[in-house]
Amino acid sequence: MDQKQTSKEILLRMVKSFTENEVAPFDMEIDHTRSYVNDLLNKIKKYDFLSTMLPEEYGGAGFDGETTAAVINEIAKGNASLGVTLEGHFKSIDQIVKYGNQALKDEYLPQAKSRIIAFSMTEPSGGSNPLGITSHAEKKGDKWIINGDKIMITNGGLAEIYCVMVKTAPKELSFFVVDNNMEGFEYGKQENFLGLTGVPVGEIVMNNIEVDENHLLGKVGMGKEIGDSAHNDARVLMGAVLTGIMEHELDIVTDYATHRKAMDTPIIQMQGIQRKVADIAVAKETTKLLYQKATWLKDHGQDYEEEAAMAKAYGSRSAVKSGDDALQILGGYGYSLDYPVEHLIRDARAMEIAEGTVEKMRTAIALIEARNRA
Amino acid sequence: MKIVVCIKQVPETTNVKIDEKTKNIDRRGLGGVINSYDLHALKTALEIKQAVGGEVITLTMGPDDFAVSLRETLALGADSSVLLSDRAFAGADTLATGYVLGKAIKKIADVDLVILGQQSVDADTGQVGPIMAELLQVPQVTYANEVTVKNDHLVIKRNLDNVAQEITAQLPLLLTVTDTINQPEYTNVVEIAKSFAKTITTWHASDLQLDDDRVGQAGSPTIVRSISSPEKTVKVGHKLADNPVDAAKELVTALKKQNILAEDD
Repeated sequence: MDQKQTSKEILLRMVKSFTENEVAPFDMEIDHTRSYVNDLLNKIKKYDFLSTMLPEEYGGAGFDGETTAAVINEIAKGNASLGVTLEGHFKSIDQIVKYGNQALKDEYLPQAKSRIIAFSMTEPSGGSNPLGITSHAEKKGDKWIINGDKIMITNGGLAEIYCVMVKTAPKELSFFVVDNNMEGFEYGKQENFLGLTGVPVGEIVMNNIEVDENHLLGKVGMGKEIGDSAHNDARVLMGAVLTGIMEHELDIVTDYATHRKAMDTPIIQMQGIQRKVADIAVAKETTKLLYQKATWLKDHGQDYEEEAAMAKAYGSRSAVKSGDDALQILGGYGYSLDYPVEHLIRDARAMEIAEGTVEKMRTAIALIEARNRA
Repeated sequence: MKIVVCIKQVPETTNVKIDEKTKNIDRRGLGGVINSYDLHALKTALEIKQAVGGEVITLTMGPDDFAVSLRETLALGADSSVLLSDRAFAGADTLATGYVLGKAIKKIADVDLVILGQQSVDADTGQVGPIMAELLQVPQVTYANEVTVKNDHLVIKRNLDNVAQEITAQLPLLLTVTDTINQPEYTNVVEIAKSFAKTITTWHASDLQLDDDRVGQAGSPTIVRSISSPEKTVKVGHKLADNPVDAAKELVTALKKQNILAEDD
């Protein structure tokens, strides 16, 4: 076994054990309290989960996309929110690695070991339409002055460093990195979302934040490219989260259907139940293969936009449908707030919207298919 | 202090199946993990090292792919590892395993302390540690719950069924530890990558000056003739009377019948 495979096996052994002991037992409590109980965030930092894919030269473990996604898959099986919190951090690191100048990398990547980084595009005036945003940066001498309001940020309020998209001209989008210790940085309102309730989603307000030129991510005008890149990286990892949710659903329904009897027969023996269980299993495996293909393409320097969109679009629809099937199998228990199935549906539902809606994913997939045949 | 921790890679699942032909554990298709008791042994060794300095060497016997578990111990803080791998070792029972591990410890040389988990979770014998102590001619303390280093000796606490002991032991010593002695850490993600700077040495049978008759199946007097899972039985409880006075009488009678209470109590 080579170094890469050995490292991956050791890591996944540890993540499995960590998830089983530290995450999964607190899944319901995380959902109900809307917070990472069991001191989970400190444990995540203590064992360097935040550094999983951070390059080794910046103090990270340097795991590739495939292994990083497998880590998120395993953790999301225990609690989807924690999987999404890591996804938000990793996609942000990815953009600084890809687009950051050396000074920016040297300043912020070593900090990513212990400080969560978030990525922010959405504003009250625009989400999937980035030119609708109003946040802006103005050059004054050798500084940039940033003003604006960013909302619905994954890990907003929890993250300490933010990659923010602003206008640098009326039709010119650029990204800057701002820090919560900068003058003019404020946290705003927290969202009260239906699912993934462990993930803080919130607002930041920027009042005349002054940054050096090296806080510009990429070059002026590269905002759309960086935004698209972040979306692609996020969608791959969301495929991993969604796979974890469906694995969780499968664990619940197979255990229940094996032990629950109707007319002295375990209901797993009944075809109506079998069809639903089989459908969940096929959807889980399909989503897994889609995100794994996307990570393979990414790790090998190939285009993965379409596979990323497929993993998220198919995975999110499937996880919601699978959750509904699981609810039906469990009957009243499935409909109860005291059992986990209902929150898995709420968790999966978030990913039909976040990082681009399912409708937007389908548009992207269709256009890529047409472009490939043009 | 030079400490050797013996570890065993065991099947990852709790749903262990037995090979009907060999009566051994069927490891096909099963992932491996470090025997959970051995993680407590490693943590004990690392704590002693932290207190008094020295080095921690992890040792296992098994096929080449068991090196993954040794690498994991390096990520957890061990300084170096030794893998004993040879086809001649296959089929070893506890005696033959203890013999080979003991020979390896002699080859490592100048070992002050050998630590093992109290037993493995797959075979559950708890015999390898004591066998090694006899072969190495060193004192042994089993089922340790607490270990403290005091000057040139160890103070060890062990809780047995009806007695708690505190033992002062000189080095060299062999120790087996329970799973209550400490709480093992999870492997740190970054330390996994760093562990590749450390060395795993592989020794084959020819490196250890072994007596061929004491190795592998030839050196294993234990023969497993049959193995089976115990049948699951459900014990039906008994509901006591609703009236507390009658319930108490009924309970006392039942406890006396089972000799839990004496007749004259």
